[in-house]
Amino acid sequence: MGKVLIIDLTKCNGCHNCQIACKDEHVGNDWSPIAAPEPLTGQFWVKVSDTVRGSFPKVKVAYLLTICQHCDNAPCIDACPNGAIYKRSDGIVIIDPEKCKGSKNCIEACPYEGVIYFNEDLNIAQKCTFCAHLIDKGWEETRCSDACPTGALTFGEEDELEDLIAEAETLKPELGTRPRVYYKGLPKRFIAGTVFDPKADEVLIDAEVDILNISNGKHTSARTDDFGDFWVDGLLPDRYTVIIRKSGYSEKRLDTDITGKDVNLGDIAMHGEL
Amino acid sequence: MNNKAPRDTNGEKKIIRGLGFCSTTADSNSVQVEVSDGKIVRIRPLHYDWEYKDLKPWKMKARGKIFQPPMKTLIPPFSLGYKNRVYSPNRILYPMKRVDWDPDGERNPQNRGVSKYVRISWDEAIDIIVKEIERIKKQYGMEAILSQSDGHGETYCVHAAHGTHRRLLSLLGGYTLQTRNTDSWEGWYWGAKHVWGCETNGFMDPVTNVVWDVSKNSDAVFFWGCDPETTPWAFDGQLASRLCYWFTDIGIKSVYVCPDLNYGAAVHADKWIPIRPNTDAALYLAIAYMWITEGSYDQEYLKTHAVGFEKFKEYILGIEDGTPKTPKWAADIAGVPSYTIKALARYWARHRVSIAIGNGGPGIRGPYSTEPARLQVLLLAMQGLGKPGVHQFKMLEWGLYSQKRKNPLPWPKYIPDIHNIQRGWKYTDTPRQFIPKNLIHDAILRPPITWYGTTLSRDYTEQQFIQYRFPLEDAPEIHMIWTDSPSWVTCWNNTNDFAQAIRSPKIEFMLAQHPWFENDCQMADIILPTPTVMECDDFGVEAMSGQFCAVFPEPRAIEPLGESKSHYEIACMIAERFDLLEEYTEGKGVEEWIKTAYENCGASSDISWEQLQDKGYYVVPPDENWEMYEPGLSSFYQDPEKNPLSTPSGKIEFYSERLAEKFPGDKERPPVPHWISQGEHHQETLSCKRAETYPLLVVSNHPRWRTHSQHDDMTWLREIHTCKVKGPDGYLYEPVWLNPADARPRDIKDGDIIKIFNDRGALLAGVWLTERIRPGVIYINHGARWDPIVPGELDRGGSINTITPHKTTSKNATGMVSSGFLVDIAVADLDEIRKQHPEPFRRPYHQGAGLKVDRMLMHDES
Repeated sequence: MGKVLIIDLTKCNGCHNCQIACKDEHVGNDWSPIAAPEPLTGQFWVKVSDTVRGSFPKVKVAYLLTICQHCDNAPCIDACPNGAIYKRSDGIVIIDPEKCKGSKNCIEACPYEGVIYFNEDLNIAQKCTFCAHLIDKGWEETRCSDACPTGALTFGEEDELEDLIAEAETLKPELGTRPRVYYKGLPKRFIAGTVFDPKADEVLIDAEVDILNISNGKHTSARTDDFGDFWVDGLLPDRYTVIIRKSGYSEKRLDTDITGKDVNLGDIAMHGEL
Repeated sequence: MNNKAPRDTNGEKKIIRGLGFCSTTADSNSVQVEVSDGKIVRIRPLHYDWEYKDLKPWKMKARGKIFQPPMKTLIPPFSLGYKNRVYSPNRILYPMKRVDWDPDGERNPQNRGVSKYVRISWDEAIDIIVKEIERIKKQYGMEAILSQSDGHGETYCVHAAHGTHRRLLSLLGGYTLQTRNTDSWEGWYWGAKHVWGCETNGFMDPVTNVVWDVSKNSDAVFFWGCDPETTPWAFDGQLASRLCYWFTDIGIKSVYVCPDLNYGAAVHADKWIPIRPNTDAALYLAIAYMWITEGSYDQEYLKTHAVGFEKFKEYILGIEDGTPKTPKWAADIAGVPSYTIKALARYWARHRVSIAIGNGGPGIRGPYSTEPARLQVLLLAMQGLGKPGVHQFKMLEWGLYSQKRKNPLPWPKYIPDIHNIQRGWKYTDTPRQFIPKNLIHDAILRPPITWYGTTLSRDYTEQQFIQYRFPLEDAPEIHMIWTDSPSWVTCWNNTNDFAQAIRSPKIEFMLAQHPWFENDCQMADIILPTPTVMECDDFGVEAMSGQFCAVFPEPRAIEPLGESKSHYEIACMIAERFDLLEEYTEGKGVEEWIKTAYENCGASSDISWEQLQDKGYYVVPPDENWEMYEPGLSSFYQDPEKNPLSTPSGKIEFYSERLAEKFPGDKERPPVPHWISQGEHHQETLSCKRAETYPLLVVSNHPRWRTHSQHDDMTWLREIHTCKVKGPDGYLYEPVWLNPADARPRDIKDGDIIKIFNDRGALLAGVWLTERIRPGVIYINHGARWDPIVPGELDRGGSINTITPHKTTSKNATGMVSSGFLVDIAVADLDEIRKQHPEPFRRPYHQGAGLKVDRMLMHDES
């Protein structure tokens, strides 16, 4: 039992409402003993970042939310030399602004980058509180989930959200931190391209696209659409051979490496069989 | 819980109000504002069902699924973060006067944009204004006063953001009006109306139930120059985003045609066709060529629903000009491979396609925008416009003018309407002398001028054939400007020339009134401080969200900051000096006007005034019969004789007899729409000689992180990397998107500050290297705050409009052009510029909000 936040990135349009609503709640507002005021700029208790995937013109944007994970096994709690960090019975992790003496140990100890900030003026560490001060007043959700226009953010009781949790994953599960923040739709990798016949000056529709993972031998198949495009997402970062077949044309094989990033193979010319 | 109506307990208040930025009284983005101890604590979405537990949303069923509006408002970050604007370090807090402007002595117009300001009292300000009006009336006549009082802004009813002084000037004897040239609708108003009527704006009208019909029957929606994740934010909120996810969910393909991977394409596009800006006419023509040569268009439909197709066919096939409009021909112009054009044409012909537009792209502010706009309609016609699944619809401005026919979503029982009550501008109020907004500089610097049409959005097509002139024979030129919408310099056409016009000695007095010290305010002689919506008592309606309609009394959240007085109060103060207060107010105080708004909005029989005060808002239920109404132009489709369009023939006009008759020999808007690579008014394509010097094209859209010029100072938005680029000097520059292919040969790196320039001037911007923009094109939005290094020549703020094309859409079409034009770029040597112009770089700068009012204040040396 306890509070969880489920982030469905397949529904995130990058509007930054969550980031702005959080600022609206905490900048210049004192919610001690839950949270002291956040400075005007520089801190992002929930932060939206974007990754531009692919290359012109096969481009997509993936958004990601960075936020305190309110871990059940939070490294920051033990790391604090002043006992300022505690976990409530509802699972929310709080840095007590009155007990914090500015050791910065928590920032060192936290394995999730950019979720704990340091307020130089007040000499305290600050981060997301899951709006505990509002929850305690009867609010059913956080400011960020209230402001989210697409339903990408779901905040609530763990046992009422089991179905959604089952479809989601946590970040860095191998560390054993046991986060209370779940992600659905974390981007994998894609391979894309357009298949065309330069002689006929036409795209090739319904061509077979066989994507072979060189490491594990697994095949993923696709077919080019009405624009001659193929766009295969959900692949693991690895090395692949892409084989394109269409009757009347010589088979085309292209090797590609999507370990580092998504790849657009560009416009792929197919030539008639001799 | 956390939802009760305004109660003044222990200094705590909760107010429900609109927080949209259209400014026409048809509001959206309804919020709850919580106040404590006289300070705004938080702003959050309104939950419609807080006070109305039985409220049932409409449910749109299609393909086995249901779409319904959420029970909370889907406000954009502009509304959420509005504290940034209310408490901005750029607020004007008291009246100010330009130090070297003396109405009794030297006026120094040449220093406008450079001189500093001193604080003056309200009495002194009003004294000067009254004296100046009297002097001008005596010396020239009242029509020497130009009212600039249109456009977007905060949304009020009584305290109207724009035009409260118009009624006063009329009472004083008249004035000259700046008429807004249907910006964001240019090609539709000046072009498409000649094809399908659809008065008065030129978009498909009516669009009743189109979204439902598309959901049931369309295979694809083409988002043509449309960003549904950006442009609707200010006027409607984010329901458009939900619709985009819905279309994908029910298997409708989303194709985006635009030079940049816009914010909608970024997450929704199944296909991105990255066309060169403003070359869409060529693409449309090639698609028509494919359909004609492959016989894949609705020939039967054209026989009964259209006229002039033969002449159109002659142009397509090259019989008219020797150039068949083949895919290969179009590929060279548009930068889209010919095989992709063919694929697009065939896909379109084989499927039910609707087109979504959104106040962007070539149909609005490109040179000759009438041509792609007309062609879009003609191509829809070639595929049976009006038949199930084949429509045009907008992703915003739903319920504009409080008209149901402009709402493509399930209708409310009624749309509350307070347009006629608002104390600002009225659609119907036009004095005899007027100047289209995009001709202001010509009118001031190079009169007399002539043009066609009033340019007013509510005027019919016949209006476009009337020629007007300025000045009228017995009327004076402009010698005073009164502006309550001081954003011309960053939103309009070739604004460097506008800056020169304001600095002309002809302009003896410029009066601005605005909450923030930005843009045109920097050139005013007297500046009056107005409050924000949070600081005024008023009345509002939610009319455009697409979810529900609502009404609310809007009591002030906080007291006015500084000495600010609303536009309405300012007009009253001046009216009183002229003994016209009774006439001006029609004998009613603000509270009475608020009550009048309530009595006339349409909801007064559904909720009493007392109940409305108690609950804080009222939500209009959906129309129970919404599903019964015929979608879009389906009745025209079914029976064109019985349900004609409002064109002269009653049909879709591929060839406009009327244009041929009224403007014979007009090569820039011929009877059949053409691809126009250059003409008398514009030479802005890559095939022009100018392209040898200025080889890059600019695409300039509605900004993501602003509403035109609004919100440029919002600290929390400016922290977002696509909002501003931090320069080595700590200044937050306006971003310009650049493809790495264009950066490399110019030695430009990500984050560099560059100069964007052409023969009209230059500006600075910060580079974002990205794959989201096609090579050969740079992308920079309009509306960045003007921060002149040399007014009229070089801008640091990144106002691209300083160098946009000067002339109108075309010779006889009086729209403006501010996208799809030629420039070049180069790395800027900031050190060198700073050495040559030290003062602009020394101006006080707020690290969060940027430019602040202190920068222009003359500090008392004593």
